[in-house]
Amino acid sequence: MKKLVSLVLALVLALSMMSFAAAEDPFVISVLLPEFPADIDFVMEDNPVLNKIQELSGVKLDIHWGPNSTYAEIFSTTLADANPPMLVSATNARDPQVINSAKAGAFWDLTSFVNDPENYPYLSAGNQNIYKSISVEDKLYGIYRSRAFPRGGIYYRLDIAKEVGFDKEVKTIDDLTELAEKLAGYSADTYALNMCSYTAGTINVITVAMGAPNTWGVDADGNIYPAHKSEGYKKGLDWLRHLYEIGGIDPNFAQISTSDWDTIERNNKAFMRFDCLDNAHRQQEWFENNAGATTQLFQTVGPVAKEDGSITVWPQNEGFVGEILVMKNAVKEEDLPKVMKFLDWCNSPEGQTIINAGLEGLTYDVDEEGFRYVPEEKSDEYSKNSQMYHNNVNQLGMGVPGNLETPKARVNRGATELRQRYEDLNVELAPYAVLNPCAGLASETQVNFGAQLDPIISDAAVQYIAGLIDEAGLQAAWDEWAAMGGDQMTAEYNEAYHAAHD
Amino acid sequence: MTTKAAEKKAVYGTGKNYWGHLRSEVKRDRYLYLLLLPGFIYFIVFKYLPMFGIVIAFENYVPVSGVFGSQWVGFKWFESFFKFPAWTGYLANTLILSLMNIIFFFPAPIILALLLNEMMNLRYKKLLQTLLYVPHFISIVIVVSITFVMFGPSGIVYKLTAQLLGHPINYMGSPDTFRWMIIGQTIWKETGWGTIIFLAALTNVDTQLYEAAMVDGAGRLRRLWHITLPAIRSTIVLMLILRMGSVLDTGYDHLILMANPLNRKVSQTLDVFVYQQGIQSGQFSYASAIGLMKSIVSVTLVLLSNKVAHLMGEQGLY
Repeated sequence: MKKLVSLVLALVLALSMMSFAAAEDPFVISVLLPEFPADIDFVMEDNPVLNKIQELSGVKLDIHWGPNSTYAEIFSTTLADANPPMLVSATNARDPQVINSAKAGAFWDLTSFVNDPENYPYLSAGNQNIYKSISVEDKLYGIYRSRAFPRGGIYYRLDIAKEVGFDKEVKTIDDLTELAEKLAGYSADTYALNMCSYTAGTINVITVAMGAPNTWGVDADGNIYPAHKSEGYKKGLDWLRHLYEIGGIDPNFAQISTSDWDTIERNNKAFMRFDCLDNAHRQQEWFENNAGATTQLFQTVGPVAKEDGSITVWPQNEGFVGEILVMKNAVKEEDLPKVMKFLDWCNSPEGQTIINAGLEGLTYDVDEEGFRYVPEEKSDEYSKNSQMYHNNVNQLGMGVPGNLETPKARVNRGATELRQRYEDLNVELAPYAVLNPCAGLASETQVNFGAQLDPIISDAAVQYIAGLIDEAGLQAAWDEWAAMGGDQMTAEYNEAYHAAHD
Repeated sequence: MTTKAAEKKAVYGTGKNYWGHLRSEVKRDRYLYLLLLPGFIYFIVFKYLPMFGIVIAFENYVPVSGVFGSQWVGFKWFESFFKFPAWTGYLANTLILSLMNIIFFFPAPIILALLLNEMMNLRYKKLLQTLLYVPHFISIVIVVSITFVMFGPSGIVYKLTAQLLGHPINYMGSPDTFRWMIIGQTIWKETGWGTIIFLAALTNVDTQLYEAAMVDGAGRLRRLWHITLPAIRSTIVLMLILRMGSVLDTGYDHLILMANPLNRKVSQTLDVFVYQQGIQSGQFSYASAIGLMKSIVSVTLVLLSNKVAHLMGEQGLY
């Protein structure tokens, strides 16, 4: 309700500004961003963080929030809106509707701006390869939102592992199996691997570690094939199925909501997870703040070697997730530089610091060595402030020139090592990352029937892990997928792949 | 049709004469027609004009190019759908769910209305009616949440059946139970509300008929069978015809809320398909084409069942 009122107020304000436009009025930039739920509602009026952003960047912000759980719907209806916000955050840069709309001229071509270091120093410092890979017909329509790479991985509870007699570093698949089996035997009502209804990440981590390609693979003849046809994929599923059989996975995992995923670990019900590696230090911090933990409880796993010694890692992303688009029918040509200046500012050290960390004295303090930190006695207050004033603003962050925050973050006591290890692991794992060869390619069947075909594979995997179908059932689902259009899709990707690489 | 045309001919004559007659009638009752105008405009503006949007079913609609600027693709989306081998599965899921709905849910409000009608204590009856309407106003999201709490793996029903049978029944995660859960939820939520129209029909039954039947020695069941049911027969037929019009409508929100990887096979209906294509993937043209196809089938079914009702001697819709 508050949000609605503030939105209406912002709108009224924007309207009144338009009607009495004086020369010194700040330029209004409207933007659609995904909103993540928090315990405390985000405050729009008199928000010190927003005020500071507006003061420093010299624009007035009109933010439209789209709840993350329904963002796909909000995004597609916004693209169809006659009066969309000026900036729209897209969570998938290769969404067919983004590409179709780009081709039809829905967005401004930003190519010249990222090649203008004089006026847009930060935007032009972005990764040109990523700019190129999200371009449509050689034109750049969005500024990508950078993410740590490869980010995907394995972490587990160090203390429980020691308790069940596993006291070494996980370096091979055999180590991982040993750890999982031992964790499974910890107690009757706990589980080894934490799984929920979102299974794609878990399955990707283990199958790629076993040698499967990332979604699509390229065979010896240079042809595209789907990941599930590889030996590694089957091995990965078998690994999970085995763990399920020995009671290492909650039998009802397919019905556990993603919002309970963290809670299960926090209630000490499961001790290992295949997901984003940075979640390990977030869980560690939670245990420190809420359960009085003083030692390192979580451990992240580095490169895991297969029997033949080779290492393959599933990257959670390609170095970026989504992009921010500039809508043509919301931004006049003469206003475009102003909008781009704002985006450039968001990537500046000043902009990045506020957007990613908030304000000194509100969400962080600076210690004598010049690092950002949250003092223990203020952690509750600062966490509350973050939720009220700052957290959702970080969706404005793009970070294309890399992390330029000043001051840099000093992290909490125990989580320090894990945070550092996370940064190190990203560097260490990057060379082993397996990329999806079809990531930037188009398939008409994928566009038209992807929403129907993809679940055939993923549902069958879940049913196989849970022992509801056997190998024949798995094969039947794959055959069904192939007959329903999977073969057609493979052929289309093959054609696109050869057209792009030959 | 022919009889109606003949009637018209008899009253107004033909051709020019008819239009002239109409004009003089409009002139005479102009204030009455003026009263009609707002409703007329409402239907034109909000019901008929939007129908032109259907053309996007024959285009490759891109919002920024608009309805007029998008590329014309003819029947591409229809062809694409029928070339998709899984479309029969979607149709089957839709029809099975609808059929189960008609067999198990449709009679429920009728039975409940008859039961309510037999109640003697008026105050208790009114209270009961009000209570029965409440579930209708509960959001389906809440209903599904309640179901999860009761039938989910940690729910009381789940645990109770596991105790009684010796093995658990996975109510929420099995293709075998999925449709029954949906029907069960629908019955729980909508039965009370559905009684309204039948109760209204029941109030029209002449009480003298009951008295006469009582004198003749008819018991409760006899009276129900020979008086009450025939009295609301035409209402039941009317509701059934209307129901036929929505045989392909399963709704998507209820199904999406209940679907998970273990039961998705049976939860994929045409409405879910339209939702996935149109709203989630932004394929507005594709979704419109499927929606249009559904509408054509629905209209055909309504007309057909109306015809059947006529043949059975019922008044039907019109």
